[in-house]
Amino acid sequence: MTTFSVDIPEVETDRLILRAVTLDDLDEVAAFYASERSHFVGGPAERADVWRIIAYVNGHWLLRGFGYWAIEEKATGACLGMCGFIFREGWSEPELGWQVYEAAEGKSIAFEAAQAARAYGAAHFGLEGVISHIDPVNARSVALAERLGARFERPDELLGKPCDIYRHPMTGAQSAPRMEAKA
Amino acid sequence: MSLAPLTQAPTLESQRLVLRGPERSDAEPLIAFLCDLERAAGFGGFDNRHDAWRWFGLNVGHWHIHGYGYFTLEDKATGKPAGICGIWNPDGWPEPELGWVVFDGFEGKGVAYEAALRAREWAYSDLGFTTLTSNIVPDNARSIKLAERLGATYERTYHNVNMGEDLLYRHPAPDALDSDGSVEAYA
Repeated sequence: MTTFSVDIPEVETDRLILRAVTLDDLDEVAAFYASERSHFVGGPAERADVWRIIAYVNGHWLLRGFGYWAIEEKATGACLGMCGFIFREGWSEPELGWQVYEAAEGKSIAFEAAQAARAYGAAHFGLEGVISHIDPVNARSVALAERLGARFERPDELLGKPCDIYRHPMTGAQSAPRMEAKA
Repeated sequence: MSLAPLTQAPTLESQRLVLRGPERSDAEPLIAFLCDLERAAGFGGFDNRHDAWRWFGLNVGHWHIHGYGYFTLEDKATGKPAGICGIWNPDGWPEPELGWVVFDGFEGKGVAYEAALRAREWAYSDLGFTTLTSNIVPDNARSIKLAERLGATYERTYHNVNMGEDLLYRHPAPDALDSDGSVEAYA
């Protein structure tokens, strides 16, 4: 039984739909978290933990009024990753983050998703000039952040591990908060 | 600006408690409990605020996935959260379980018993459950005692994905309970 009733907006791009993460995505997300690819985002993690991640991602939307979307490929319906905003306990400010699965490699999927998420956040959540936390050895994420126009700001620490803060440019979008919850 | 409610949990009442869905203001008392590794040993604690806050978010998401989760127990006399109690069933759990936790300062008053009776009654009469379990780590003597007072009996020992070695207690079926939800008459 899946009774998600979280009011999570959908965002459409040329090839993608950003939508709520549900338990229907559990297989794809769990496969990613079982792989070494997940070690930049807190993995590897067991399937039971990934269930908790999906539940928690939805809780985050309710607690903060914004959060992580699933990246769905329009053509196939496949979940290619997750992308969106994170503002957990211990974060200095909201962050734009992304994780892209193996099937999406080399197609600029993360770029397309992150760009759309960032624009949506600026226009609807009042999230302008956000940061991304990036492990300095994660060259792919550094490259993506720079392609998105983000610039290295300063070294920092996240949950006891060193990471760099990249700052995204202001989009200049009109800020019209859509969701009420901004705890 | 008014904030949207976190869940669609009902509000239940018992003699001294209000059982309601988690609210944003519950985060700090819950984090305090979860980061108290001694008190939270039988529940699964965390050594940092970040993971404790995530568990708070997880419970909110759990309500949306299942339509049930942990209630906050609000002490009628003080309005303060006295603990949490509810039905929990994340991936990897053997079955839906009735769980309870009492916060510092509210122990020894029968809060957990009162809350567990009410939550169990809700699960049986409103959610239509026909059975319920409670998972208890072997050295949690207080919880074992409470499970037995609730009429639950030991069924088996198993490996819990989060807690390791765990005892599974089974609660009496709905038709074995008194009209007040207890089994006291048979105890």
